[in-house]
Order: sequence, then C-alpha cells, then structure tokens
Amino acid sequence: MAGITTHVLDNETGSPGVGMRIDFSVFENGEYRLLKTVQTNQEGRTDEMILTPEETRIGQYQLLFHVDEYYRSKGTDLPEPPFIEKVPVNFSVFDTGQHYHVPMLCTPWTCTTYRGS
Amino acid sequence: MEFPDMNRREFVTGLGIGAAGLSAIYGDGTLVSPAHAATQATGGQLTLHAIDTHFGQTRADLQIDLSMQDADGTYQFVKSVTTVERGRTENPVLEPGELRIGRYELLMYLDDYFARFATELPNPPFLGKVPIRFGVFDGSQNFHVPILFSPWSYSYYRGS
Repeated sequence: MAGITTHVLDNETGSPGVGMRIDFSVFENGEYRLLKTVQTNQEGRTDEMILTPEETRIGQYQLLFHVDEYYRSKGTDLPEPPFIEKVPVNFSVFDTGQHYHVPMLCTPWTCTTYRGS
Repeated sequence: MEFPDMNRREFVTGLGIGAAGLSAIYGDGTLVSPAHAATQATGGQLTLHAIDTHFGQTRADLQIDLSMQDADGTYQFVKSVTTVERGRTENPVLEPGELRIGRYELLMYLDDYFARFATELPNPPFLGKVPIRFGVFDGSQNFHVPILFSPWSYSYYRGS
C-alpha cells in the first residue's frame, strides 16, 4: 500500500488520540497550501487515507496537529501559551510507490513523530 | 569541590566576579558563566540539546534558526545558532533575562546536517528542515528543549 496515513497516540493516557483536528497541506510556490482538514476517529486514525496512492505526488507535505485543542477539549489544564500547541510535521514523499505513515505521539509536554509503517 | 572557608554566598559571588572579569577581558558582554547567570538572572533562559540518534552522537555544526511569533502570527527570525560537540550550543540560545512569553520555533537544518556526513538519503529526504514549535508561558522560568532526531524521526520535550 502506498499513500499517506497518520495515527495519533495520546501518551499521557496511553490511548488513541480521538477527535484531534489535523490540517493537511502541500508545499507549493514557497508556501503550504491547505488541502484538507480531518479529525481522528475512535482509533486515533482517520476514516479516509490522508492521500490515496493515486493522489500522492512527489513533494513536500505538512500535517498540522492541533494538540492544544485536543487536550483542552479533554479538560486538561494547559498554560497559555501551551508548551505543545499546534505541531507542524513537515515531510517529503520521495517515491509514490511507497507508503508514508506519519504518526504523532503526544502529551502536553512532548511530541514524537517518525516514518512508520 | 569544597571551599571550607567560604559559605555558599561568598563562593557564588566569587564566581560572579570571575565571570565579570572574563567579560571585561574579552569585551564580550554575552560571556556569562552558568553559575554567574544563576545568581544574576532576572529572567529565564532558553537552551537546547540536539541529540542525534542516528550516529549516536551529535556532530558539530547543526544549524538551528530561532524564530518568535509576532502579533500577526508570523514567525519572525531572531537568530541562527549552531551546535558544538555533543549537540549543545556554546551559549544559551536566549541568555538569562532574554526569554519572553510567546511562541517560539527552532528550525533544525537536518537535511544539510545529514548531507554533510554523506548519509545515504532519498531525494528529497523524508525530513528536511524541521520546525520545533513550543510556547513559553512564564519568562522567569528556564526552558530547556532537548530534541532527539534521526533522518526518519524526531522527538522533543520540555527538559530541565
């Protein structure tokens, strides 16, 4: 499988990050252009792929994770501004035949991303 | 290290005078020893530690640009720093007293860094220039931001 997918894991509670807003953009003409806004489902994943294999082109992309809104919606007390707020993950697709799984592991004080599978 | 004839206050003051002396010698107002800073700080400092988990040790000269968000929400360039051996910077990114409440970005030039060490990476690399964004909600606290990175992953947190 190729294409782009993501998965949010809440490392504060050890559970899927449910209902987190993610903005997905492509880098074009020197700036990121918003392609879609999605929300994570009960598994912390998105119902549809971020990009299907057919839609995926070589280029630079951004997943913007709204970590602050996620924790505020759960009633977590965050400072203002929060240490971890909206987290941009900028990455490149270099081979459209490959799958790009880009997870976000977060707490209000840390975040981690990597190329997963 | 023990100074039996000094109480702590005298010891710290001595360090402070020493640091001030160095500053005078080199004419460099930014030269402040951590011990001196701790006694004189009127505000927090920003430090980072970039940890290369690919080579197992951060090599020198990773460029990192510090920006701060302005009132319009745009990140405005403040300064460039480069890591010295083991991934720290020679001086704090922001010296004690320079830290303000706000939103900051450390832009890590991972593409240049790994290309320099002939790491075999695809083109374009999965990670190029990586933005590390964080908020400072209290300018009187120290903010230490460790960043673990490889060509395929990164992680950061509020350290101490």
